[in-house]
Parts: sequence; structure tokens; C-alpha cells
Amino acid sequence: MKRTFAAFALAAATVVAASSASAQNYPTRPITMVVPFAAGGPTDVIARIVGEHMSKTLGQQIVIENVAGAGGTTGTTRAAHAAPDGYTIMMGHMGTHGAAPALYPKLRYDPAKDFAPIGMAAGTPILIVARKDYPAKNLQEFVARLKTEQDKANEAHAGVGSVSFTTCTMFNVMNGIKPTRVPYTGTGPVINDMIGGKVDYACDQIVNLVTQIQGGNIKAYAIATPERSPALPDVPTTKEAGLPNYQVSAWNAVFAPKGTPQAIVDKLNDALVKALDDAGTKKRLLDLGGVLPTGEERTSAWLGQYVQQEVARWTPILKAGGITAE
Amino acid sequence: MSRIRAPQEAAAGLFLIALALFTFWQTSDLAIGTMRALGPGMMPKVLGSLCGICGIALIGFSLIKDGAALERWSIRGPLFILGAAIVFGLAIRPLGLFVAGPACVILGSLAARDSRLIESAIFGVAMTLFCWLLFKVLLTLPIPVAPWLLGY
Amino acid sequence: MDSFLGNLELGFTVALSLQNVALCFAGCLIGTLVGILPGVGPIATIAILLPLTFQVDPTGALIMLAGIYYGAQYGGSTTAILVNIPGEATSVVTTLDGHQMARQGRAGIALGIAAIGSFFAGTVATLVIAALGAPLTKLALIFGPAEYFSLMVLGLAFAVVLARGSILKAGAVIFVGLLLSTVGTDLQTGDERLTLGLIDLMDGIDFAVLAMGLFGFAEILRNLDNPETRDVVQAKIGRLLPGKEEFKQSYKPVLRGTILGGILGILPGNGAVLGPFASYTLEKKLAKDPSRFGKGAIEGVAGPESANNAGAQTAFIPLLTLGIPPNAVMALMVGAMTIHGIIPGPQVMTKTPDLFWGMIASMWLGNLMLLIINLPLIGVWVRLLKVPYRLMFPAILLFCCIGIYSINNHAGDVLLTAFFGFAGYAFYKFGFEPAPLLLGFVLGKLMEEKLRQALILSRGDFATFVTSPVSAGLLLVAFVVIVIAVLPSVRRGREEAFQE
Repeated sequence: MKRTFAAFALAAATVVAASSASAQNYPTRPITMVVPFAAGGPTDVIARIVGEHMSKTLGQQIVIENVAGAGGTTGTTRAAHAAPDGYTIMMGHMGTHGAAPALYPKLRYDPAKDFAPIGMAAGTPILIVARKDYPAKNLQEFVARLKTEQDKANEAHAGVGSVSFTTCTMFNVMNGIKPTRVPYTGTGPVINDMIGGKVDYACDQIVNLVTQIQGGNIKAYAIATPERSPALPDVPTTKEAGLPNYQVSAWNAVFAPKGTPQAIVDKLNDALVKALDDAGTKKRLLDLGGVLPTGEERTSAWLGQYVQQEVARWTPILKAGGITAE
Repeated sequence: MSRIRAPQEAAAGLFLIALALFTFWQTSDLAIGTMRALGPGMMPKVLGSLCGICGIALIGFSLIKDGAALERWSIRGPLFILGAAIVFGLAIRPLGLFVAGPACVILGSLAARDSRLIESAIFGVAMTLFCWLLFKVLLTLPIPVAPWLLGY
Repeated sequence: MDSFLGNLELGFTVALSLQNVALCFAGCLIGTLVGILPGVGPIATIAILLPLTFQVDPTGALIMLAGIYYGAQYGGSTTAILVNIPGEATSVVTTLDGHQMARQGRAGIALGIAAIGSFFAGTVATLVIAALGAPLTKLALIFGPAEYFSLMVLGLAFAVVLARGSILKAGAVIFVGLLLSTVGTDLQTGDERLTLGLIDLMDGIDFAVLAMGLFGFAEILRNLDNPETRDVVQAKIGRLLPGKEEFKQSYKPVLRGTILGGILGILPGNGAVLGPFASYTLEKKLAKDPSRFGKGAIEGVAGPESANNAGAQTAFIPLLTLGIPPNAVMALMVGAMTIHGIIPGPQVMTKTPDLFWGMIASMWLGNLMLLIINLPLIGVWVRLLKVPYRLMFPAILLFCCIGIYSINNHAGDVLLTAFFGFAGYAFYKFGFEPAPLLLGFVLGKLMEEKLRQALILSRGDFATFVTSPVSAGLLLVAFVVIVIAVLPSVRRGREEAFQE
């Protein structure tokens, strides 16, 4: 009995020693990717698509762990404080690593300092949409009308801290509009009431909206990226429509806790890039309306400075919009 | 004490009033808002008031109608059952399923007077192994198994 | 547009392919087994098993996921009947009479009628979806915030009727449930409400945490306090399946439940939750002897379970036709579809008809499979009930803890559940019932959100709730329901006072 136990202990110790040994052998067991939102949402879907291919390159399963809450900050906090051994990474996005410091004064992590950036995964362009019989033919008319209506107009968003909230805050501040903001829990109800004609407009990710626009249930005035989306070729860009400064995309990127060894970071970045190059993965992401990073945008270093840029961008906008979450 | 003809109702009423007061205390800094835009404080305060009113009504009725008496509260049950759950909660992440599982079962079983320690211990280990097979192996749930031993 | 029969034929051709039948069966089986575990409801199950479906083509994957969904629903009802722990909001009502039936040795009958009623409801619902799917979505669009609020008020009225004891206490406990639903971050301002500064409460209280604590833990504590009645089955185990007598009592509740649940399930935003409650209320009011309810009346299981399943099926309508998920489970389905490259929306029906109709046909198939899988299992479950309680309750405890933990991978959730377990024990000592509280909790969030939205849209005008015909109608029914519920107690109170 004692001998068996000793053998078992020895074996276990060897396993432990081996697995924590060098980054050369990484990964030797499954990797957890924390997704700070509920399963089924855009970030979760992107994480699963990308993670599936990364698993093949790395030779170990990437297990998605959904830790939803507080606009994504609960899961992000958890990932920030995880052991920097490469076995816990996360899929963060524009909200958790860009807008959060402005929205949550008591935030328990710093997006720039507490993370080792791995790489950008995919962005989901933002669309400005309105109920299908809103009396304006294009973006210019739309903005002009909103300026006269001011608080008579009803803007719907998916709750303080959501992508639809932050991006529309920017839209409103930029155009000097002060609509009545109607909060909903999640994008589903927003779309529902917009189809039903009960609210006027919203700014949200293409993923949630593409089929409704294609089906004619709601209309899109512009897409906030430099180029038109292949999924919606008839929707003009904000540049074309007369609002060139409104460039937003809800980007999603992979992060590891600060202090993760560079060799491991590089391996993860490599796996991510290979996933983005894979034809099948690429197609699935593009079908969602996703925008993939190109060239330099795929490096970890670029992501690091992009995060800092985003934090610097969102803080003044959200403060101007007058809303902070507590 | 004999004036209270329905002690259970009275206790229930007291609880509700306490809850109402607690609510008002915790939400004192939340705005009620206006009719156009109900503030965050509106619902909690209104509901707290309704609870408080029900509490007062219950106490009122307890003075004029007969009702059930207050049952004794046992200590053993809550202590061990809730204690077991708390131990599980505290142990699952640092120590994993292999420790938290048996601990939960053994500690919980102490709540019953007719439990036997050896039997519970064996049952605890068996149950933990079963759960490991089901949740971890079959369903691949990300539950910590034994971080101090296996690293995950 | 093809003919109704033509579409069904296409659907069944797709659904009856060997691969898809196997996937359907696998989904139902796994879903049932996992759904039986307390705490691991359909959402967790689907999230967990999602990666398994990647290997398969989209239609097959969706069929399997749908099977898991129904299986988990039925598994949740099984736990509700056997051990008085509701797997999710829709099984709360089943605990009221279902568990009492189990205690009387009639667990098999309860499980059986639940399975059969669900199958019937599922069949009807499938036919309805096939025939009327697209037009029915218009119904969902009529409901704006004001109408929803009134619907929720009606739901609360049902909750009052649900009560077994004093109406005043039921009302109070509903208010407590509503109060608990406000805990968390405010939707509009982001302020923290009643969170006591705890990060675990920032997103509000999870339903499973509350249900596990108030029902699961508190039930164990209650049983330990009463060693004479604690063995779940006291009487000899009777017949395993429902007999002619039970069918006679049940067929009308099943019919009514199907209609109620089916209609409510279409409404986005969790209208399906109201189905079982509405059915229970209706049956209690229509019964010749309402006092049987809460003590093991079979109508109290047959009706709600049928409503449950009908609602679960019709909940797919907004998803398949509009692409809008009506609740969290459907949102997962949307995610699953998206991962497989299908973007749900108005065109799914026209662009990928074999997916659409194949799914509908396999819904019915799934219901059939559930019947086939579960009826034999009834014998197993009923035997399981004979395990000595001193071993059973620690096992239940462990399953609950693991289940709660695995929802969000949050250890804090387990601690919170322990707190509610204590609260549940206290409630029991005070004579409060947990079921109305849970209903208040479930409805509260939606109610407050809709109330605020309605008032924002109407710029503070309360008339908005009566100017809309749908809304006014719902409020009227709610008022009538409450009056009918309160009247007997008032009369009784006067009689008692008179006798004093």
C-alpha cells in the first residue's frame, strides 16, 4: 500500500515538475480561455471559432470558460489575477480593455498594465441603425433631424457598459445630440422593439444586426469602418456618408496575465495568426461580418499600444457623455 | 407574551420590518427619480415599504387572531449543512474537487444524527470520484480537480 | 410558399436521416442526464456540450442541441418531483404538487404524466409552429414595454393564487422576491443597488443560487428537523405509470396547459416562464376541490408540465423566424448557429428550408425520444428514492455545490447559496412559502425594466398602461384574478371573526 502510494506521489511530482518546467514544452495540458460574457454572444462566438483552430496548432484543447458579469469586468479581473503560466488567457474587447476605466471608477485591473497582449482576433464593425420607417433618407438627414428632435428621439442601448452604449455615447457627443436613452438588457430586446417601431435608433455590432437589415426589418444609415462590409454592400461608410470621424469597431483580442513568459506569448500569437490565416476560420469570421487584422495589426506589440490608445480615446468621450457606472 | 396569539405571524412580521429598514438604509443614497425617468432607488424603496407594511399588518393580525407557535430552530442541521457548502465554496478553487468533495460530503453528513463517520468518508470519496468522472471527464467542465497536486 | 404538408415532408426527410436520428437521441439522453443534476440547467448544459457539436454539420448540430434543451427541461422537472429542487424557473410549479405526489409513493405517476403531457404538448406545438410560425411572430411584435409590464403584473397575480396558506404572507413573500430581483447594477445609471459592496452581487442574484438555497438546502434542513417524515417515500411505491383514472383527471389540464404555454412561449423576453404558473392557477380555480392543490393533485403536474413543454417549443418561433432569441437558452442557440455559419434571421426559413423544417420535424422527434427514454427510467428513479436519507442528502448537497459552481465558475456563488439556504430555513420557520418568492424574483427584473422603459417612452405618463388595449386587458384580468383569490380568505376571515 505504502509502495503504491510512494510510486503515485513520485509520478505526480514528476508530472508537476515537468509541466511547470520550460516554455519549450508548452502547452502540456489544456488551456483555459476566459470569455467575460455569456455564451452565445459575439465575443464568445469569436473566441470559440478562433480557439478551435488554435487548439489544433498548439496540440492542446483550449477550453472556453464563460465568466459573465458587470459589463465583462468580472471575468477580466479574474484573468488579470490568474497565474502567468500561459494556461489562463482571455478574450477581451473594446469594452473590457478600452472603455472600462472610464465607466468603472473602482475597476480592479489596468487594461494596459495588468496584461500581456497576445494579439487582435477580430473586430465587429459598428452600424448606425434605425427603425425602418424613420423619416430620413441618409446619414446627413438623420443627424440633422436628431439635432432638431433632441430628447424627443428615443435611442435604445443594451445597458450601461455595453458596446451599443459606449459607441452611441460617442455618436451622440460627436454630433451634439441629447436623445432620450432607453436601456434594455441585451441586444435581443433592442432589436425586437426596433422592429416593432417603438424606439428610433441604436448603434450596435454588425453581428447582431446583419440579417435584420438584409431582411428589411430595420435600416442602416452607415457603417463605421473605412470600407464597406461584404455582408452589407449597400450600406455606405461613415466616411462616404459625411461623418468621417466616427470610426468604431468593437474589437476583440486575446490577452494573457502580465508576466507571462515571452516565449509562451509568442507561441500563442503564432497560433492565433495561423487561425486567422486558416481558410475555414477566416470564412466563419467574415460571414459574421467580422473585420480581420492585417499585417502589423496582428502582432502583440501593436495590440499593446492599441489598448493604450483606446483607453485614452474613450475616457474623455464617456466623461463628456456624463455617465459612469459604479 | 400571552397577548401575542400567533407568535409565528409576529416573528414573520418582525422579519419583514427589519428587511424594510435594512433596504432603506442600504438605498439611502440612491435617487428615486421622477416619473419620466424612474431612478435606481424607486423600486427598492417602494418594495421595501410594501414589505414593511405587510410586516405591520402581520403583527397586527398576530395580536387578534390565533396562529401557529414558533418552532425551535435546530443548530446542528444548519451548522453542518451550510458549513459543508461554505467549506466547498472556499476549498474548490485552491484545493480542488478531490479535497472539497469529500469534505463537503463528510461534513454535511454530520448533520444527521444517525450518520456513521466511516460510512460517510467512503461514500464521500466514492461520490467525488463519480462526480469527477461525470463532470470533468465526460462533460469537460472546467472544475479545479487538485491544483496543489496536478496543477489543474 | 410550399404547402404545409410539403414542408413537413421535407422536414421529416431531413430529420429521419440516420445521422440526425442518432444525434437527436444522443442529445435527449445527455440532456436528460445532465438536467437531472440540480443546478446544471439547460443553459449550462448547452454551453458545456457546444464543442461536441462542432464535428457535425449545422443541421445535425442544431438538432442535437435542441435535443439537449428538451432533455434538460425534462430532467429539471424530474428533480423537481423527486427531490423538490427546481432545475430552472419553469419547474418551480412542478415542485408544488409533484413532490407531494412523490412523498405519497406516486412518484412514478407524477413522472409519467409529466412525460406524456409534455409529449402531447410538444406534438401540438410542433404542428402549430409548422402551420403558423411566420404569422405568429407578428404577435410578439405587438408587445412593447407597456404590454410586457402588464403581463408581468398578471404573472404576479398568478403568484398570489399559487399560495397554499395565508394570502398576506404570500403577498409579502412576493414583495421580498421582487426586492431581491433589484439587487445588482442598475440598468440605466450603473449604480450598485443592495450589493453590500460585494463583487459577487454586482450582477444580481442568479436564479439557480436562489432556487438551490431556498429549495434545495432549506429542504434538506427541513427534512433533518423532522426525522419522522424525512424519508422521501413513506408509503409503499405504487404503480409506476399513470392509469385510466389519472388520465381522465389529466387530459383537460393537459389541453389547457398546452394552449396557455404555447401562446405565452412566443412572447420574447421569457414569456414562457409564465406558462406553468398560468396553468396551475387556472387548474386550481377550475377544480371542484381546490384544497387538493399543494397536496398532490395530479392536475397540478399535468397542466404546468404541458405548458412548460409547449412554451419551450414555441419559444423557437421568434428565434427561427426573426432571429431574436427570446431567452438565454435561445441566445445560446443563436451563438451555436453563428459558429456553424448560419446567421439566424428572417431568411433562415427561405434560404435554408431544410434546416428550418428539419429542425421543426426533429422537435417532434425529440419529444418522442424523451418519452421513450424517460418512461423506463422512471423505475430507476423511483428505486433511487429508497436510498437512506442519511446518504442521499450529502450526495444532493455535493451535486448542488458542484452545479452552482459550474454555472459561472464562481466560488462566491456557492457561499451565496449557503446564505439563501439559511434564509430558506428561516422562511420555513416563519411560515413563508418559497415558490411565490421565486416567481416574484423571476418576474421582478423584467417588470422593472419594462416599467422604466414604458415610462421613458411615454415621458412619465402612466396612462400608457391603459391606452394600449392589450395592456389594459391584461391588467383587468390581473385585477379579476386577485379579487377571486382574495375573496374566499376575506369571507373565511369574517366567518372566523364571527365565530369568536
